[in-house]
Amino acid sequence: MATKAYDKSFREEVYDKVDAGEEIKLCMQCGVCGITCPLRDEMTYGPRQIWSLIRAGKRDEVMNCSDIMLCTSCYTCKVRCPRGVKVIDVMHGLAHYALQEGIVPRENTSKFGKFFWNSIYKTGRIDETEVPMRYSMRRGPIHGIFETLEMMDIGRALLSHKRMHFKLGPGIPPSKKIKGIKGLKKMLDKAEAMSPGKEA
Amino acid sequence: MDYFLYPGCSLEAGGSHYLASVEAVADALGLNLIEIEDWNCCGASLHYIGGTELQTKALNARNLAMAQKQGGHDIIAPCSSCYIQMIQMAHEFEEEPELAAEMNEILAEADLSYSGGLKVRHVLDVLFNDVGLDEIKEKVVNPLNGLKVASYYGCQTTRPYGEYDSVESPHTMDDILEALGAEVVPFDKGTKCCGSGIFFTEMENCAPLVGAILGAATDGGAEVISTACPMCQMNLEIYQSRVNKMLHTEYDMPIVFVTQLMALAFGKDFKQSALDRNIVSPKSVLQPSA
Amino acid sequence: MDKNYACYLCKGCGLGEALDFEALEEALEDSDISEVKDHEALCSPEGVALIQADIDGGVNAVLIGACSARVKTDEFTFGKEVLVERVPLREQGLWCSEAEYEDEEEAGEDRQMLADDYLRMHAAKLGKAEIGEPFQLEEDVEKGVMVVGGGVAGINAALAAAKAGAPVCLVEKEDALGGYLGKMAKLGPQSPPYQELQDTGLEELVAEVEAADNIKVFTGATVEKTEGAPGNFSVTLSNGESFRAGAIVQATGWNPYEAEKLADELAYGTSDKIVSNVQFEEKAKAGDLGGINGVAFIQCAGSRDENHLPYCSAVCCLVSLKQAMYVKEANPEAAVYVIYKDIRTPGQSEEVYRQAQELGVVFIRRGEDYPAISGSGPFAIETQDVTLNDTVEIEDLDMVVLATGMVPNNPSVVEPPLVALGMDQDEAAKLAEEAKAASDDWSVLNLEYRQGPNLPTLKYGYPDSHFICFPYETRRTGIYAAGAVRRPMRVTQATEDATGAALKAMQSTRAAEAGVAVHPRSGDDTFPDFFMQRCTQCKRCTEECPFGAINEDAEANPLPNPTRCRRCGVCMGACPERIISFTDYSVDMIGSMIKSIEVPDEDEEKPRVIVLACENDALPAIDLAAKNGAKWSPYVRFIPLRCLGSLNLVWIADALASGIDGILLFGCKRGDDYQCHFIKGSELANVRMSKISETLDRLVLESDRVRVEEIGFGEVDKIPGILDEFMETMEEVGPNPYKGF
Repeated sequence: MATKAYDKSFREEVYDKVDAGEEIKLCMQCGVCGITCPLRDEMTYGPRQIWSLIRAGKRDEVMNCSDIMLCTSCYTCKVRCPRGVKVIDVMHGLAHYALQEGIVPRENTSKFGKFFWNSIYKTGRIDETEVPMRYSMRRGPIHGIFETLEMMDIGRALLSHKRMHFKLGPGIPPSKKIKGIKGLKKMLDKAEAMSPGKEA
Repeated sequence: MDYFLYPGCSLEAGGSHYLASVEAVADALGLNLIEIEDWNCCGASLHYIGGTELQTKALNARNLAMAQKQGGHDIIAPCSSCYIQMIQMAHEFEEEPELAAEMNEILAEADLSYSGGLKVRHVLDVLFNDVGLDEIKEKVVNPLNGLKVASYYGCQTTRPYGEYDSVESPHTMDDILEALGAEVVPFDKGTKCCGSGIFFTEMENCAPLVGAILGAATDGGAEVISTACPMCQMNLEIYQSRVNKMLHTEYDMPIVFVTQLMALAFGKDFKQSALDRNIVSPKSVLQPSA
Repeated sequence: MDKNYACYLCKGCGLGEALDFEALEEALEDSDISEVKDHEALCSPEGVALIQADIDGGVNAVLIGACSARVKTDEFTFGKEVLVERVPLREQGLWCSEAEYEDEEEAGEDRQMLADDYLRMHAAKLGKAEIGEPFQLEEDVEKGVMVVGGGVAGINAALAAAKAGAPVCLVEKEDALGGYLGKMAKLGPQSPPYQELQDTGLEELVAEVEAADNIKVFTGATVEKTEGAPGNFSVTLSNGESFRAGAIVQATGWNPYEAEKLADELAYGTSDKIVSNVQFEEKAKAGDLGGINGVAFIQCAGSRDENHLPYCSAVCCLVSLKQAMYVKEANPEAAVYVIYKDIRTPGQSEEVYRQAQELGVVFIRRGEDYPAISGSGPFAIETQDVTLNDTVEIEDLDMVVLATGMVPNNPSVVEPPLVALGMDQDEAAKLAEEAKAASDDWSVLNLEYRQGPNLPTLKYGYPDSHFICFPYETRRTGIYAAGAVRRPMRVTQATEDATGAALKAMQSTRAAEAGVAVHPRSGDDTFPDFFMQRCTQCKRCTEECPFGAINEDAEANPLPNPTRCRRCGVCMGACPERIISFTDYSVDMIGSMIKSIEVPDEDEEKPRVIVLACENDALPAIDLAAKNGAKWSPYVRFIPLRCLGSLNLVWIADALASGIDGILLFGCKRGDDYQCHFIKGSELANVRMSKISETLDRLVLESDRVRVEEIGFGEVDKIPGILDEFMETMEEVGPNPYKGF
């Protein structure tokens, strides 16, 4: 039982810099979010207790906790929260903030998500062949080949059922871009600059 | 009747059979689908890792703006993930004037603007409320004859807004399936999560979720699971063999889109209904004679 | 009165098929009723017309054998000049019995005997009933209302009564109106969207009082003496003024629970920066909240705590939310903590909780243990944090606020235990002395009542009332409690409460004028009549009346005050000489009903059981059970009582002497959470019964033959089980040996 003093700096950091961070002020600790979460058994704290930790100022516990990237976005907690707290948005905001601070809560999802976002940023869309391929190569080409082989049956099945485009490897051929990609990039840059914690 | 169609990335690839069947159903019902020009990704469920909340909103604001350039029809977003991303933006644009102004500031970077007012609809919403059960029944030429179906909505089909159906106990797909002549079996996992966007990267944690859904459908006597979300379809179907391996189970459950069943019931053939693109083949249950 | 009887029997609802109507007519042979008619549906316009035609022809005492007296009351009321007695053949005869019962010689004979008995019983009652005149005070009925207490409840009560047309005398002990409202800096958010603190509004209220020409305000005054009864109270104030009042609203508010008692638990008294919520409010009012960078509010400070106030005062959470908002308003950067057990913010108050959260107030849920406060400023607090399952510390607190609860500003009155009744005089006097010593020795109203100067209270000093059904009532008719003296409440609730109590007070003056009862027997124009020649000055009636209605003269003769009376009949049950009766309810009437039951010989093996049942809860439950299809023994006969407290022991003796095998008494729930409409009727019946087993032993009768049961209106399903079980007991103890004597 570690006695630790309440410290307001972390909660203020979350209110100011994390997307939807201020939402947690309204939590009344009923626990509906935690109990409805499909991955509750895999979590160390669950949303309710994470909010408590934030209020208490336990930065390390929260930022290093993989729970914040275990959200499946099922929206059950958001629908059932009696206080209307956008639980999912806060979880997403915390995950994003942790990554920005150089912490990787869940390695695979972080990597995959990064390729995912890059695809959006560079082409305007998700290329469902490209992104998993790049993800498979995340630990280098050798490892990548093994992982690709492991997923080969699935890839082949998708290909033969006309549910995947053929690619030799990442970028071969390159993914199609939307016509307005330039404008979209400008928009995304602007939006980033306007986001909490990123304002100049 | 005219609608904008927002296919989304998934329907261009892993969910191509969803798009094909939506188009086949639209054809049978006389719905005119106009694709939004040069649409972009909605951000889907992993947007937050690389992007900020505002960036994701910007993605969706752009799609709304692109649609508005073409007219004022309702937008059908068949993919549930696209649907909630887009409808969330549409709602917030109406409810939060400050955010709306921010969005237009961002849209201006691409010489775009959005003035609000467009409606974002799910396929189930349009089928149930605009078309209606009576017309669906009328169009059935090839009734499903008591096909035992588990009606699986998943999460984002109705949550969080519950715009057209209950968030806790939805019924629109059940009713449509019954109108097609199918028998909807008892199934208590109809709104439980399959793992969604993190299934692929968190398979150890999410396999039990898929296993529970397949198990409940099997226990209920289902011959197929019907869904209206490409992510659900993919997680339940293409990883079914993986899940079987991990959980030591032997599920062999076809996962079909409700629109595929509709197309079939409306007289389209197996291929026109894109049922040949299902990896766990529904052939034996849908075409017993074939 | 000269009675001209007629009996009407209904054949509707299946009665016609189930019963032998010739036999029913024969059952009345020994009565004064010779005219008997039947009809297919007595409640139909034709049926009612049949009765009305006879009344027009001179009939004035009507026996109606149909359904329960609780239904079809509009149809079967024929004006003040006509006595009507209803026989519940449908509910208590037909519905609850089987068409054929075990060991019957002739199918249906038991049900027929049941119906015959009911007809005879009610005919006997009708034979004894009279039509009386309502009671009238000798003096003119005073319509004015005295309001005691000039806080938010008192002011609003005065305004409500004045607006409704009653002259008001408003008495306040301080020099100015306002009470605790006057000590508040602000009110919490009171209207949508519940985000802004609001002014107390006291100035406007006081201006309204001053502008009202029918409100007379007496400040700096207390009540020296209140004598009389509703419609005719005479009040003398400490300043020598006196006036008449028809009714009284006591709105004397609350006192804070003394924070001094929390010295051990919460370091109160060690620093002037550890304050109670009342002191914090004073600071806020004085504009003395500058420079607070850190503050913690400790909820349930001495509340919901067996060592202090065991109850929840229901306001402290909101008060702390409001006060947290004061701090945040003065300094948005301040760290504000609320350390709570449960946040209790019912209704729209939840929005205030939300608003405080929006402002960044941090809530920490503690367990049962009090947080430990250390330091002499700034303070540190160590507390359990249930939501983290950890012990946490909070440092740098400039102030600590203890959210203490409310105590009623009303003397606590401990009543002597009821077992004292009928005890040896010395012993009873000793218990009464002990109770008096445990009671507070001050008074708000200084009532000149035989039972003492104060309103009887519940255990925490709140005036006793039938809390659910009659919230504003006290146990002194015409005197109503409003606001925080009634139960802990906040300003908005006290405002509403005041209106309710004021209107109740006005209603009671109207009732006094009409000579009728107030709740729960609203409109009853009978009242207890004392046949004084036979009174033995035993004082039981004056002591047992739950409402203190009866005073005593120097010779201990009872002096009834009918406008204080609720007509429960407790005095009638208490009187050993049986000299107290109502025109339609008396010891003799119920006794005659019992005696008119035909008791079969022992060898017929048809026992007889009577149930004396409270007509407020038990009787409706019995009717409902029958309606729901429950069946029970046809050997059971019900007799309704105004209250089980009106039970006179002579009825038990009468019943056993006439060969009745068993007697059940159905009363309301008693004890701390009693449901008796007359407060302690059920309790009193139980005390009286506890003394009867001795008598039964003396008569060589098994005490199993008499039993008291508590029946709530909601306990419909319990009834058949209780009756079945009692019938089994009757089988075991065998027939009453006095049968046939």
